[in-house]
Amino acid sequence: MAIRQFLDGIEHHFEKGGKHERWYALYEAVDTIFYTPGKVASTTSHVRDGVDLKRIMITVWMCTFPAMFFGMWNIGFQANSYLATNPDAMIADGGLREAFITALAVTGSGAGWWDNFVYGMAYFVPIYAVTFIVGGFWEVLFATVRRHEVNEGFFVTSVLFALICPPTIPLWQVALGITFGVVIGKEVFGGTGKNFLNPALTGRAFLYFAYPAQISGDTVWTAVDGFSGATALSWAASGGMEALETQIGWMNAFVGTIQGSMGETSTVAVLIGGLILLAMKIASYRIVGGVLLGMIGMSLILNIVGSETNAMFAIPAHWHLVMGGFAFGMMFMATDPVSASMTNTGRWLFGILVGVMTILIRVVNPAFPEGIMLAILFANLFAPLMDHYVVQANIKRRLARG
Amino acid sequence: MAKKKETVGKTIQVAFALCIVCSVIVSAAAVSLRPQQALNQELDIKSNILQAAGMSEPGANRERIEELFGRFTPRLVDLRTGQFTTPEELGVADVLSYDQYRATDDPNMSTRLSGDQDTANLRRRAHAATVYILEENGETVRVVLPVHGPGLWSTLYGFISLEGDLNTIEGLGFYDHAETPGLGGEVDNPRWKSQWVGQKLYDDNKSEPQIRLVKGGASPDSEHQIDSLSGATLTARGVENLINFWMGENGFAPFLNNLRDGEA
Amino acid sequence: MSDVSAKKVLFEPIFSNNPIALQILGICSALAVTTSLSVTLVMCASVIAVTAFSNLAVSLIRAQIPNSIRIIVQMTIIASLVIVVDQLLKAYAYEISKQLSVFVGLIITNCIVMGRAEGFAMQNPPMLSFLDGIGNGLGYSIAILFVAVFRELFGSGELLGFTILASVNDGGWYVPNGMMLLPPSAFFIIGLGIWALRTWKPEQVEEPDFKMSAHKTREAF
Repeated sequence: MAIRQFLDGIEHHFEKGGKHERWYALYEAVDTIFYTPGKVASTTSHVRDGVDLKRIMITVWMCTFPAMFFGMWNIGFQANSYLATNPDAMIADGGLREAFITALAVTGSGAGWWDNFVYGMAYFVPIYAVTFIVGGFWEVLFATVRRHEVNEGFFVTSVLFALICPPTIPLWQVALGITFGVVIGKEVFGGTGKNFLNPALTGRAFLYFAYPAQISGDTVWTAVDGFSGATALSWAASGGMEALETQIGWMNAFVGTIQGSMGETSTVAVLIGGLILLAMKIASYRIVGGVLLGMIGMSLILNIVGSETNAMFAIPAHWHLVMGGFAFGMMFMATDPVSASMTNTGRWLFGILVGVMTILIRVVNPAFPEGIMLAILFANLFAPLMDHYVVQANIKRRLARG
Repeated sequence: MAKKKETVGKTIQVAFALCIVCSVIVSAAAVSLRPQQALNQELDIKSNILQAAGMSEPGANRERIEELFGRFTPRLVDLRTGQFTTPEELGVADVLSYDQYRATDDPNMSTRLSGDQDTANLRRRAHAATVYILEENGETVRVVLPVHGPGLWSTLYGFISLEGDLNTIEGLGFYDHAETPGLGGEVDNPRWKSQWVGQKLYDDNKSEPQIRLVKGGASPDSEHQIDSLSGATLTARGVENLINFWMGENGFAPFLNNLRDGEA
Repeated sequence: MSDVSAKKVLFEPIFSNNPIALQILGICSALAVTTSLSVTLVMCASVIAVTAFSNLAVSLIRAQIPNSIRIIVQMTIIASLVIVVDQLLKAYAYEISKQLSVFVGLIITNCIVMGRAEGFAMQNPPMLSFLDGIGNGLGYSIAILFVAVFRELFGSGELLGFTILASVNDGGWYVPNGMMLLPPSAFFIIGLGIWALRTWKPEQVEEPDFKMSAHKTREAF
């Protein structure tokens, strides 16, 4: 109880008229990490629940752990497999990272799981730290100036953003991306709860369009200099099913021992975290179900239609599930409670739209290899409209019922 | 006053007067500026050709461009035979007034390409093209050829310039395209363009060009490889296809062979 | 209409009543022509010329224009002026007119020109209308120049074609921001510009459509 006493003891400094009034947002943030808020709504009906926004967000954050830890191991695994056959290759962005890796682990052919993990840590941790510090700075700045509370949604935004970055992304791009995501994607509209786009995806989309040569190029996926690996999606686009089966293999893509963004490669790890979210009813099963349905439906249609020139038409649904960031986007991005639809029917529609658009962008659009990011942002724009019509339909039905 | 101007007669009067005045102003501007505009267009094409030939000088004025371009002899080439042809045969006034790209849409002046001929997705090809030849002491030292073809979003229009051996590339430049800035738009990057200089079109077989745009970097030993454009697979593929088409047997290869043998 | 002084008519549209930032008119061309500063400058000059002279012409004959065809009369005058400007550019600034391509022609559809002819020149004397045209043209120019400076500087590291930030492709250090060369970036910049302008001049902030009631809480324990 010492913490409670301490917090209560200093509270008056932060309240209106206190000498640190400006920093109330920070005080509030610290207070509610330790204790449930001391205030309850006094108007209209309100559901009492032990869980609040902060607990929800921390649960989501912890559910990304399987993907995060697997991702770190995989960065090392990919790099070391390459180094094992090409001992002369250099560790990407040497310097501190290289010093860290060589101090704690071996690289190349002798590398075990621990060595792989250390290798990955050297890439993931700095990216996550930059995301957290820069994004947190904007979050606190806006909270202080605008006098709203520091929002825990940022925990989730930052980890999701870091996980969808490629390992060798320059750190200044990370800072720029999260800045755009937090400021333009969220704060200009009034902060968490009022943003209509998913902030992590907004930041990633900004990087995607601002630095396409680096982000969508071939050299970013593996943390070794000068090695250009092709992702499953680029194999599919150039060689179709045949290339996928021989070069990647479905099981590898499902387990995640392939190249890609840090947290996206392993469908298994993503599904573990995602199923926990579904079981706890934090993520909506309707959205996830909708995305799956839309994806399977659309890829079946394209399979039947077929195309002589575009090999992507023939890719079946179970491959779409394990390629790129599909599983990650479906479980963690599309289910964002703020930017997705809020009504139950709306959630189905929202999910289906995401699934259909993802496949359409992947298969038909020649310029963009991955579709889930753009599909979710696109569906975000339509979420309020879907909700509106669902609500209107409900009102009409009830009126008709008399 | 206010009521008077609303009558039908007055309305027609005002409309009529306004139309006369406006049309006089517009046509006066159009007619008096026409020669200047035509000159500009011509100059634009000429400086594009010079650029592809690596002969453009930054800040060159009109006279200088005219002088440099004056060294070239524009000739018409019949792509079906690979021989020089004349403006009369094509039914145009003179060499410079022939527009290959307009002819491409004219069924009487172009051929439909069959599926396996059409390696660059052009669909139609004009019967004739304008080429620009630079001769010194009676010897051909430079040939500039027009090329075009689809990239990702747009059709790329450009010129390729060859040395006197009709095999070594002297320069390549696109003057019109709408590819993504920063990705496909990098076809305009001087550093990328400089890689073309000195590369060879053909092996021993002089009708099959070997140009390849290689992902992840061209091998320095190869005479036919250029780095691909990073993040712009489809633009790069378009450029590779269009160069290989236009330098191939359905493009300029027959003409180049004839010219090499002195039979064009 | 309160007092209409020449100075006010000329300078008001620049910051206090900016056609782009406050009236949100003429955005389309602001997206299309702002990737490089030199092109934008020529566009600005063209728009200023067209707004000024169309205002002048409309104001001169405003007593003669029958009400029933006034919009068509204004359109005809504006369209003629735009064609003349386009022809002049093709003759004397060919390179830039090629980059502007259809957007010079699209000045016809720029709401600012039409809006000023209908909203101001129809009621005011010629000199004042002329100044109002220049003023609004300047307001438009300030806004799109602001956008163009950002887009050219961060998109290609240059200003007016001179290298300011040496880009990586040319051996420098600056990685050009490709999004700045795409049209949506103009939206972001205009939006951020309006944000800054309204922080400076809070009277421009619009009334909210609705007010949320205060969040009522009480102590739980």
